Amino acid sequence: MALLTFSKTVLKNLFSEPETLNYPATPREYPERSRGHIEIDIENCIFCGMCMRNCPPRAITVDRAKGTWTINRFDCIQCNYCSEVCPKKCLHIAPGYCEPGVEKVDSVIERPGGPLPMPKPPVKKPVPPKAPAAEDKKADEKAADSKAEDTKAETSGSTNPNVPRNDIDNCVFCTLCARNCPVDALTVNRAEKVWEVDEDTCVGCGMCVSNCPKKCLSIG
Amino acid sequence: MSKKTIIPFGPQHPVLPEPIHLDLVLEDETVVDAIPSIGFIHRGLESLVEKKDFNEMVYVAERVCGICSFMHGMGYCEAVEHLMEVEIPDRAKYLRTVWCEFSRLHSHLLWLGLLADGFGFEALFNEAWRIREKVLDMVELTTGGRLISSVNRVGGVLKDITPDMQKAMLDAVDKIEKELKPVANTFLNDYTVKSRLCGSGILSKEDAIALGACGPMMRASGIEVDMRKTGYAAYDNIDFDVITSNDCDGYARCQVRIGELFQSINIVRQAFAKMPEGEELSVKPKGNPNGEYLMRVEQPRGEAFYYVEGSGKKILDRFRVRTPTFANLAPLVHTLKGAPFADIPLLVLTIDPCISCTER
Repeated sequence: MALLTFSKTVLKNLFSEPETLNYPATPREYPERSRGHIEIDIENCIFCGMCMRNCPPRAITVDRAKGTWTINRFDCIQCNYCSEVCPKKCLHIAPGYCEPGVEKVDSVIERPGGPLPMPKPPVKKPVPPKAPAAEDKKADEKAADSKAEDTKAETSGSTNPNVPRNDIDNCVFCTLCARNCPVDALTVNRAEKVWEVDEDTCVGCGMCVSNCPKKCLSIG
Repeated sequence: MSKKTIIPFGPQHPVLPEPIHLDLVLEDETVVDAIPSIGFIHRGLESLVEKKDFNEMVYVAERVCGICSFMHGMGYCEAVEHLMEVEIPDRAKYLRTVWCEFSRLHSHLLWLGLLADGFGFEALFNEAWRIREKVLDMVELTTGGRLISSVNRVGGVLKDITPDMQKAMLDAVDKIEKELKPVANTFLNDYTVKSRLCGSGILSKEDAIALGACGPMMRASGIEVDMRKTGYAAYDNIDFDVITSNDCDGYARCQVRIGELFQSINIVRQAFAKMPEGEELSVKPKGNPNGEYLMRVEQPRGEAFYYVEGSGKKILDRFRVRTPTFANLAPLVHTLKGAPFADIPLLVLTIDPCISCTER
């Protein structure tokens, strides 16, 4: 056992600079990676709602019709998951914490130039004339089968897990997926029973999957 | 025989950073029994697994507790990775090891500060927390958060430690080691500290096994148990010895934790020396978790269990955490029996209670 083991440290501390900052007179410098608050590049936002659906505390609301992106900064836990899932990478986290407040208020960010134009309803193509009735019923069935197989091969051929897949047997070709796609990557033709996705345009946001009434679309 | 008195201890008490309640049965000044009750800060985080998908759940898992945050996130991720049979990149394993040891450093320094505060040595408390601040600065520099790191994901890590950051971390570790030596000397050799800690709260080796103690509490009773030896993250490539003590008292627990501080510094240096170069930090897991897995991780406070169960859906069926403080409550009650009333706050501190973890 020893006595006065701490005296050297005490003396050293007496004659050295204080360890603490004179905050707030001396502001604190945050490191570059510091997670303070979420910022959005609203011009690049396609209002797909991936951030809203994946936010752990559900602090984000995306309204596509009004063209607004809303965050409750008091609910946000600065986990950065929204910017991880953002398909357009328009969300990022920046240093500097938000101001304190007495009530939880939303901060609404509006898209300059109003909301994104809503997708147009599908263009009705003239129905092709019916095949001559003289054809055998069996041949008709065969043709239908091979057609279905063709479409299947076309749609399930994609190996990219970020692109939606369609279980074509259950699809009713309602075009709801195409109408809700924020980047117009889907082409649906009810008359010809064709469902196509443009893999280069698709951002994998999952809007089509959440809007599918038959739940025949899947992603991931 | 004198009359028995029941004295409530907590949930609010100057020595407790978090709420735990003990009903102490006293005979004169001696505690004859203690009845713990927990449940003041239950948040139901485990049940959130039924609402969040398994990737989103990482951020909930690491918010189980602020102090052990990184390892909670990592324990959950490792459990899901085993379930999905994902092999994470080697660099990610070493990065996890470095951050694990940094969180052990800050947790043990926090505890040393609280202990010094518990026996009224305020200057020593400030000194321990001053050193801890250097650890937190390095965690903030590399992960972006002082306590909640948010760098884990199922399949690896999200951020890399750049060469500049690595240099800053190694410099910080050198500085911490230099500053820690006089503080450790005071904790281990000072007359006032020793007179408070030596011989208090004896937990024999047999009792420690019978009551299921874990972590530094177990190692201070002379039992060599350390989950890092099971080789999760990159610990199978790191050379270290399990630190134990045979004194079985409060002083031994302090000794073990101080030994682990220097050991953590050593592990950080080893991990940086052995860390492979590489751009790849994570792999994307395919499909959804199916089956069940139990992951065991060595938290600063002891062994933690992470049980996950999935049935091939995006949302897991079950997530269960057993935290070290919960396991150490039974040994705590045992050590309290027969102790003088004035020792109670100190004995409660020696298990390093983390009530947020326990109640989730």
